[in-house]
Amino acid sequence: MSTTDDLSLLERIRRGDTDGAAELFERYAPALLRFTDRMLNDRASAEEVTQEVFVKVISRAHQYDGRAGVSSWLFAIAANACRDRRRRDRRASVVPLEAVAEPRAKGEGIESVLVSAERRRAVRAALAGLSEEQREALVLARYHGMPYAEIAETLGISVGAVKTRIFRAVETLKAHFSEGERSWTAAT
Amino acid sequence: MDCRDVTTLAIDRLAGEAGETSRRELSAHLATCESCRAEMARLEDAWAALGTDPDAVLTADFRRRTLGLLEEETMRQRVREFRPRPRLTRLLLQAAALLAAACLGYVAARGLPSARPSAPASAAQTTPSAAALPDLGSNPRLSNVSYRTAGADGSIGIGFDVTTRHELAGRPSAPEVAKLLAYLVSRNAETAGEKSRAIELVSEHFGDSNAPASPEIVAALSSTLRRDANPGVRKKAADVLASFPITPEIRAVFLESLRADKNPAVRLVAVDALAASAKQSPDARTIESLRAKAVDPQENGFVRAKAASALKAISF
Repeated sequence: MSTTDDLSLLERIRRGDTDGAAELFERYAPALLRFTDRMLNDRASAEEVTQEVFVKVISRAHQYDGRAGVSSWLFAIAANACRDRRRRDRRASVVPLEAVAEPRAKGEGIESVLVSAERRRAVRAALAGLSEEQREALVLARYHGMPYAEIAETLGISVGAVKTRIFRAVETLKAHFSEGERSWTAAT
Repeated sequence: MDCRDVTTLAIDRLAGEAGETSRRELSAHLATCESCRAEMARLEDAWAALGTDPDAVLTADFRRRTLGLLEEETMRQRVREFRPRPRLTRLLLQAAALLAAACLGYVAARGLPSARPSAPASAAQTTPSAAALPDLGSNPRLSNVSYRTAGADGSIGIGFDVTTRHELAGRPSAPEVAKLLAYLVSRNAETAGEKSRAIELVSEHFGDSNAPASPEIVAALSSTLRRDANPGVRKKAADVLASFPITPEIRAVFLESLRADKNPAVRLVAVDALAASAKQSPDARTIESLRAKAVDPQENGFVRAKAASALKAISF
């Protein structure tokens, strides 16, 4: 979607056009929900925060200054909202690293579908074990395909800082998954 | 390149950020270094493992709820411009008015000539509250309405033009001032801003723990809530009425608003006010109206939810 389209949508929202807000929602809500879901690791909180992002967009549309792309601006609002949510809502689950790839007992007979579910759960747990800053950068790069420069714009940091955060995140995940794999293999 | 650069370059490659030269250098190095190939494999595994986490999917229910909320928020934004001034601004203005009054008093006390030339006929006529207003029964058009806080005793000043400039000063509860406020609230303010300001003054001085509002004020606010074309003004009138003790007249106007007002923000105020009154004395018509709203599929989601939760809180 072109920047001009996004800008004209924001202009419509500024004028109080409800259809403009609905169009922006259709355009960006799926991606923002994916982002908030991975940041908060809780579906209900992710939905609430995603709603909050769009409500903020309506009230702050006049503050958009065009320095960053609309997409970056939306993700920046979402990242801030997730940070605020995690600060004030202790229910957001932070899974301890020990829970990653918990080994199975021998002969437990878990079906392959459960294995795959377990692995997905392990990925979530591993993501939750990263620092918030590392997770933000990694999620934007890995799941949203954002270039480093856009991530930097979104998070308000330098490209160098983005690379450092992603590097550390991947190093941590690599260690976790390697450890989990060994435990997994040893147990089976 | 050497082995220490491999991890960084490998992550850049996985993230799609490695340039052609870097990719070529990395491939050349991996072809000759077994430990780096193993490192690359571990990084690729970790990157791929992240891909096993399924994306959250936007549900129809979430879409419906959020679009309703956004519509509501957009409408609320339209109304916001009519909100009363922030408390701090109001306090600063009042302080400035007091200071100005004190300065004038000081200058007067210092002995300015007491006998002033009489004001020309065209100058403003300041009317004490006890004095008669222009005949409002003839429905005169009041223009250039201005309001000021006149003193520490809570009196206010309202200036307006009929054929000449008038200025009425006194406490809002004084009959003449209340009558003029009611007149401005119900009709004859030239702009929504003038009318809004009149409603704010009513809100500040009547209702809650303040003086009880006169029947004229209640009638004026009711008429505004029923007929004003501006949703911001209607909501403001509804807010003020909701702060008054409920009477049959106020209940009737809220029932009418809940049924017919086009603006959901106004209907929400009506639900709140009716629910509060029904909690004190359950009234069949009120409960029936709330029940109808709670199950009306055409109604705004917030109004519906509010009506439902209001019903739950009422003990029958």
